Amino acid sequence: MDKERLAAFADGALTPEEAAAVVMHLVDHPQDQAYVDDLMAANAALAQAFAAPMSEPVPARIRAAIEERAPEGAKVVPYARRLPLRMGGLALAASVALAAFLWPQTEPLRLTVGDVPAGSRLDGHLQGLPSGEVAVLESGAELTILATLPTPQGLCREVEVIDRGAGRVDLALACRQPEGWRVEVALSEPVPEGRAEAGYVAAEGGDTLALTPWLDRLGAGLALDAAAEAEAMARGWQP
Amino acid sequence: MADQTKAMFQADLVALVPRLRRFALSLAGNRQDADDLVQAACEKALRNAAQFVPGTRMDSWMYRIIQNLWLDDRRKSARHGAAVDPDEALLSDDGKAARLPQDRMMLAQTRKAMGELPEGQREVLALVAIEGLSYREVAETLQVPIGTVMSRLSRAREALLPKLGLGAGRRQ
Repeated sequence: MDKERLAAFADGALTPEEAAAVVMHLVDHPQDQAYVDDLMAANAALAQAFAAPMSEPVPARIRAAIEERAPEGAKVVPYARRLPLRMGGLALAASVALAAFLWPQTEPLRLTVGDVPAGSRLDGHLQGLPSGEVAVLESGAELTILATLPTPQGLCREVEVIDRGAGRVDLALACRQPEGWRVEVALSEPVPEGRAEAGYVAAEGGDTLALTPWLDRLGAGLALDAAAEAEAMARGWQP
Repeated sequence: MADQTKAMFQADLVALVPRLRRFALSLAGNRQDADDLVQAACEKALRNAAQFVPGTRMDSWMYRIIQNLWLDDRRKSARHGAAVDPDEALLSDDGKAARLPQDRMMLAQTRKAMGELPEGQREVLALVAIEGLSYREVAETLQVPIGTVMSRLSRAREALLPKLGLGAGRRQ
């Protein structure tokens, strides 16, 4: 049977009668069956490879363009797609205040590879800050835990610090060891300028992309949802 | 356009955005260009809203606008070949799509291979395999004969499958 017909079958483009005839044919033509399987696998890979926008909110700038108004606020919103829906304005304000209250320390927070000292501010955020909530540091930089990811070695958290004064975004992956947190990788890159001026930054792609090979190497799985993360937090991030 | 009609048009457009972004991402290969495309397409759609015939498929109409803008852009920038940076192929989706590292690599390969296809083949494959349009709908959207849709699809798969480790003398 020619490949175009098999492809049309895999794509669901045949009438029920035509499809039934192909099904009959495939029973005793294993090579054609294998080809159809491959086409379906490729279709599934394609659908999955570009699926991310389907579960993301409509970006503010696109919504604004459709509704023919200026984007709201001149706020930098990196990783907007990662922020959990539960994060409302009040919850955010509360978490910022709480974070400032709980970890009032003077040394600057640095994302550098190595063990995170117990009781340091970074340790405090890793221990107690839910993903998606923003903690404003004394320097004015904003720290966000982007996600908590399970790996065979234990839980890891993606940390982002945006220092707009310095025009820098730091990104790190901290993993929980039995004795405490350890930063496995730390990266830094400039805040994309044109975007910040336009009042909206979708810092997606560029910097998360840099962590992807590390996540792959660690065998990281799906990010925990809010409930699973809260549970993990409650048991001290132990597996 | 009457205010109410316009509000409905805008609401329909907002509802379509996730699919438009997915389509644009599969063409452009990176989020920045994809969102720029979707935004430009939405602006164009609003300017030309009078041309949209209510009751016809808005998704096909919008796919066509995106595809035209993308081709214009590609011609202007005279960028040909891979639009997808090999690293960009690894763009993160928060691990939503891929549970295991080998899945992540497969998806990265898929994005890269898609970016290496000629424009005409990429459009057709995106509309069929990702957006789920029928061959006839694709032909209408792209305003090409259905035979062209099928031959582009066939060539796209000949190029794509081996890059995904599929279709090369595989046995069951």
